[in-house]
Amino acid sequence: MLNRKKFIQQAALSAGAIMAGPSVLKAAEYFNPLKLTILHTNDTHSRLEPFPMDGGRNQGLGGIAGRAGLINKIRSEEEHVLLFDAGDIFQGTPYFNIYKGEPEIKAMTNLGYDACTIGNHDFDAGMENLATQLTRHAKFPMLVANYDFTNTPMENKTQPYKVFKKGKLKIGVFGIGIEGKGLIPDSLFGATKYLNPLPKANEVADRLKKYEDCDMVICLSHLGNKYKESNLVSDEVLAKETENIDLIIGGHTHTFLDDPIQYKNKKGDDVIVNQVGFAGIILGRLDFEFSKFSGKKLAKSHTISVSQKTGG
Amino acid sequence: MKKNPPFLLLVVVFISAALSCNTIYQSQTLQYKTYRITPTEQPDSSQLNFLEPYSENVNKTMNDVVGVATVSMDKKQPEGTLGNFMVDAFITMAAEQYNTKVDVAIVNYGGIRLTQLAAGNVTTGKIFELMPFDNVLILQKVKGSALQEFLNIAAERGGWPVAGMTMQIKNKKAINVIIGGKALDPNAVYTVANSDFLANGGDNADMLRTIPQISNGYLMRDAILDYIKKLKNQGKNISANIEKRVTNAE
Repeated sequence: MLNRKKFIQQAALSAGAIMAGPSVLKAAEYFNPLKLTILHTNDTHSRLEPFPMDGGRNQGLGGIAGRAGLINKIRSEEEHVLLFDAGDIFQGTPYFNIYKGEPEIKAMTNLGYDACTIGNHDFDAGMENLATQLTRHAKFPMLVANYDFTNTPMENKTQPYKVFKKGKLKIGVFGIGIEGKGLIPDSLFGATKYLNPLPKANEVADRLKKYEDCDMVICLSHLGNKYKESNLVSDEVLAKETENIDLIIGGHTHTFLDDPIQYKNKKGDDVIVNQVGFAGIILGRLDFEFSKFSGKKLAKSHTISVSQKTGG
Repeated sequence: MKKNPPFLLLVVVFISAALSCNTIYQSQTLQYKTYRITPTEQPDSSQLNFLEPYSENVNKTMNDVVGVATVSMDKKQPEGTLGNFMVDAFITMAAEQYNTKVDVAIVNYGGIRLTQLAAGNVTTGKIFELMPFDNVLILQKVKGSALQEFLNIAAERGGWPVAGMTMQIKNKKAINVIIGGKALDPNAVYTVANSDFLANGGDNADMLRTIPQISNGYLMRDAILDYIKKLKNQGKNISANIEKRVTNAE
């Protein structure tokens, strides 16, 4: 269901199209499809500098300066770019032991991150510390829909979702965190309430698609890519068991995917899942092209054709 | 009439169609690319400048060489050299710190935070990366039956580094557990060196939650650093072997 504003907008557009001749608009849309570039990282784990040149297998890889250079280049070439991180920003190099996350959050602000979600290790120096670092240094929201931080230092420091407008496109983005029990020490997780990710993800995605009128819904997830244990919720389970999510940008399992994974959701629509290892070794890039559709055509399930980008 | 519908009717049909079926944008194609951030990537100089004051301070404290690794050690399951080196450090240093005999040392696989420790000079910073958490090396007196349950978690999760014992994994359970040369006795009590993370029920080790912890706040990272110093004093370098401590049955 579209809201009133969009309905009137669409009706006016259609009327205008008739006056101009229907084929004109159609042709313009056909030849200039709307484009959106999504860049993403996960589990950067305080890797601000490249891995040291010590003969290790990752030597020289990663680092915020190289990542920034690449991001700047892509931003100069593409009109609509969004940059996301799927959590575990903290912990892994001495920078975190000494500075407790300040340079990590500052760097993400410098690089122009649009949003991130929260990982289990982002609790490592305590919730109070995380709240302080975000308040002081983040110019981007931390999104999580299934942690209830009421009566904790993180109360009101996160939001469940955010809607980004990119040209004519509305992109809804929300975050889903992993269960703290057995993973985050009780002393760090404190009074945080963990909410079941599947119903929560469905609820928020539904809201973003139907009431916020989003053309695309993205979940930043720290659940992990997939598990052998059937009782654990992963991005695979999230993709298959929900509706209205188009893309899951994952983290936690440090999975290096050569290609994004394509699943069918509960309605039979395509869902894309991607994850790019850890430590900022890789920057993921997803270029989407959008077409305009009538409600009638939308009745059938949504499929998306996926291919590797050449060049660039 | 059928072949040439009046223009007005066409317009009416079109408008009503436009009003009843709203249009939205939907993604049709996705082109993906993964960029490896290699040293050839042109770095953004403003980010290098931003990092400088931080890195200067970090490197001052972290770049000192604490020891030399004679081989590259890897994080692997069911058993890996890097994990073996860590639990060797834990069983040795726990015995020294708490002045007691320690039967078994275990670390959870997820607690190994480097995939590889390269051969050559090992810096303080490297050990911080290997064990970045401020986890405490603790002791627990664990009954054999509870230890078996705990080892089953290690088995279910693909095998964790152990010292002072050997085991095999079959159907996600620990079998043929040998401690100090003898089969695990469900009624015996073993002194187990472990992290406070696991002892507090981390990685679903719920059976450890209720067992009292002997702790003086000694960090696991300090145990590794002290172990390297101890080796150095004995004229030894850092190394570890695969010793069939944990194997898959069959």
